[in-house]
Amino acid sequence: MQNSEYVVEMRGIDKIYPNGIAANQGVDFLVKKGEIHALMGENGAGKSTLMKMLFGMEQPTNGEIYINGEKVALTSPTVAIAHGIGMVHQHFMLVPSLTVAENVVLGMEPRKGKLFVDFSKAIALTEEYSKKFNLEVDPNAKVMDIPVGMKQKVEILKALVRGAKILILDEPTAVLTTQETVELFRELVHLKEQGYTIIFISHKLKEIKEITDRMTILRGGRSMGVYNTADTSEQEISRLMVGRDVILTVQKDQAQPTAPVLQVRELEYTNDWNRKMLNKVSFTVRKGEILGIAGVEGNGQRELVDILYNFSKPDAGQVTVGGKSTLGLHQDKLRDMGISLIPEDRMIYGIADSASIEENVISDRFDKKEFNNGPLFNMKAIHAESQRLVEEYQVLCKSPQQQVKMLSGGNIQKVVVAREFSSEPVLIIADQPTRGIDVGATEFIRKKLVELSRAGAAVLLVSADLNEVIELSDSLVVFHGGEIVAYFEDTKKMDEMEMGEYMLGLKRQSPEEVRRVVHEK
Amino acid sequence: MKSKSLRLFGYVRGAAALLVAFLVALVLIFLSSDQPLTALRYMILGPAASWSKVCRVLAYMIPITFTGLGTCIMFSANQFNLAGEGCISAGGFVGALVAIYCPMPTVLHQIVCILAGAIIGGLIMLIPGFLKTKWGVSEMVVSLMLNYIILDVTMQFLTQNFADRSQGATMTFPYKSTAIIPKIFKGEQVSYGIFIAIAMAVLCWFFLYRTKWGYAIRMVGINKEFSQYSGIKVGAIIILCQVVGGILAGMGGVVTQLGYFSQYRWTALTGYGWDGITLAILAANNPIFIPVAAFFVAWLQYGCELMNTWTTVPVEMMDLISVVIFLFFAAEQFLSGFRQKLVVRETKKELAEKAAQQTGKGGEAHV
Repeated sequence: MQNSEYVVEMRGIDKIYPNGIAANQGVDFLVKKGEIHALMGENGAGKSTLMKMLFGMEQPTNGEIYINGEKVALTSPTVAIAHGIGMVHQHFMLVPSLTVAENVVLGMEPRKGKLFVDFSKAIALTEEYSKKFNLEVDPNAKVMDIPVGMKQKVEILKALVRGAKILILDEPTAVLTTQETVELFRELVHLKEQGYTIIFISHKLKEIKEITDRMTILRGGRSMGVYNTADTSEQEISRLMVGRDVILTVQKDQAQPTAPVLQVRELEYTNDWNRKMLNKVSFTVRKGEILGIAGVEGNGQRELVDILYNFSKPDAGQVTVGGKSTLGLHQDKLRDMGISLIPEDRMIYGIADSASIEENVISDRFDKKEFNNGPLFNMKAIHAESQRLVEEYQVLCKSPQQQVKMLSGGNIQKVVVAREFSSEPVLIIADQPTRGIDVGATEFIRKKLVELSRAGAAVLLVSADLNEVIELSDSLVVFHGGEIVAYFEDTKKMDEMEMGEYMLGLKRQSPEEVRRVVHEK
Repeated sequence: MKSKSLRLFGYVRGAAALLVAFLVALVLIFLSSDQPLTALRYMILGPAASWSKVCRVLAYMIPITFTGLGTCIMFSANQFNLAGEGCISAGGFVGALVAIYCPMPTVLHQIVCILAGAIIGGLIMLIPGFLKTKWGVSEMVVSLMLNYIILDVTMQFLTQNFADRSQGATMTFPYKSTAIIPKIFKGEQVSYGIFIAIAMAVLCWFFLYRTKWGYAIRMVGINKEFSQYSGIKVGAIIILCQVVGGILAGMGGVVTQLGYFSQYRWTALTGYGWDGITLAILAANNPIFIPVAAFFVAWLQYGCELMNTWTTVPVEMMDLISVVIFLFFAAEQFLSGFRQKLVVRETKKELAEKAAQQTGKGGEAHV
């Protein structure tokens, strides 16, 4: 036993990824037994990387890890689990078509004889743990049918059933509503009382203050030190996290919406599993305004964006932009009409990863006259364009010829945004425009978005980040179960608690109230 | 821009793969031959023994450069089309017919022959391209089967309609002298076709890296979803790249026929299409490297043939070597540990530089 005060001891951790990004540099991370320890830092500070190494998903380039004072080599999650470490990922690792109990015992199923899974034992086991830890779940429900909050409980149960004494929760509240967060915190405190150690990854100051005992703050891959939560003010934490006091509000003038640009009418969509994902969705986005779509993920937002950009076909309904129907048009035509999209998953849709920055920013305009001389590319014009965009959008890179995949997440997103914002769009669909990127890039992108809307573009903003939709949108609709359940004409006059109730489906406005978002007499 | 040492790593990795391939060949030669050193000498130095042997190597470069270029373009769009093999026969056959039956002044005659071969190659590749775009049929399966259909169809026409019955073997009548592509050196096998091949390599590089079509082909190859979202017509590009591949293979067939043979006599698949795949992999889909890779493969192929003739080691050793090269070029993790070390070293250097700059700035501020 080297130092039994700490259950987790990570010393001098370096992590350099194959693309050359140094995610951790000389990080020390020490967790005492039975505490709730916050791991804080902005997106891209290296929190997830550090925890992936603790859970055996990544190997440190340098450094040592001790669990209960014993030096360990965590070569895989299996090894980490054997050492009593459990992780609840931000994006749940559950099989949607299996039941809760089946998910809980997956890979360690109780047997009947040698061949058969003992389902009743699996259910009993789930119920036992569920009762013991006050984590209420329905063992027989299919995971795809249960709400996000319960999915998270299933994840926690999974870890506990596997004997975890140290629980890592990666941004557990990111997907939860206010009400669900309150419940989660109650459960975590309960676990702590029973002697469990919890590592809580977050960048939300309020939550950290509320629930944790101590915290380690990361910035740019380095540790900024360990602090007692009770003795540290929110201002101090935020300064340590970002190196300056963050201005979380976006400056924007009152919107002056004019003519309707995007008109969606009675849109319906049923997915491949025969589930109705959109039900009679109608709304209008007008020139000069930002309309936000809030809602827990998986309530039809993705399907809506896919239909708007013609990646899938609706069962019924109309979509028009500037009075012209867009359904069934090739993306080439959508771009000609001035419709831009910041896609939710930038690595799949947003970029070609092994191509250069230059090749990525011209992908929507490479066939335009100004970039071609007869059959050949006008390389001069192309270089000038990429140089201009890299400068204007502050993409940190060695040159526009650098491969996009060598950039950090925030800079990759800036490449996407540079392309989408610079084509003089009349309509911008921004789907999770700042997910998983650093605070500097986030601020920059939000500011640009407001700028463009005030200059006359119509913006449809879809975001799972509540702060973002509330801060950026002029008006806002709430999606629940594939329907618009609420419309707030002015986001400034909105109550967050009330919005949570709409998001959870506890409350809904009358059809007449919702109908106002169509802006038709 | 990749950093210098990482780019260098690409070359080192390629060289290491070649080295491993040679070592494997070496072991097998030593195991199977009673005069291994002689065998090895034939394989490596044999083609350099005389000027006419070198010219033979150059002549062998011509068809495989064309199929290699075609494969490059198709692989760039991530289309694993293997019908270069068939297209070179089909192009060669149609070009041959024009050379025999359509009298024309020289120069024009060669050009028309080559064009005819190019067109037929392109038309053939419409089949796998269209099927892929319309119904998502795997181009690999279609093109593979297409090779045999093409062979049988040309054989049918050759034996039934165009054979010279006065000859002992199956072949056409001789080409008109106006259609022949002359040899560069009197009595040696290499024709002026090699310049056409090299010119096409340069042209293909421009096509792939300096035109909007080449750009679209490469983007579709890197990320299809991204291309569609950007407004590129992915289906059209998938057809286009295969048609271009067919055109190149078809041209290659004609240039080889008119520069090497005096009548059409391919009655089996040539194997040039397969060599083209080796070349595309060796050249990492960059057309400009294809002639270099072609020279290397042609040299090795001829070396193996010489070894086959003069020692007990069979010519199939060549296949073995290319298979090992394939394996190591395709194995992404090959030497990845070494690469990681390079990355770590570079990143640390960069971080240290940044830190030094910052303290430097801090110092100035104090002054």
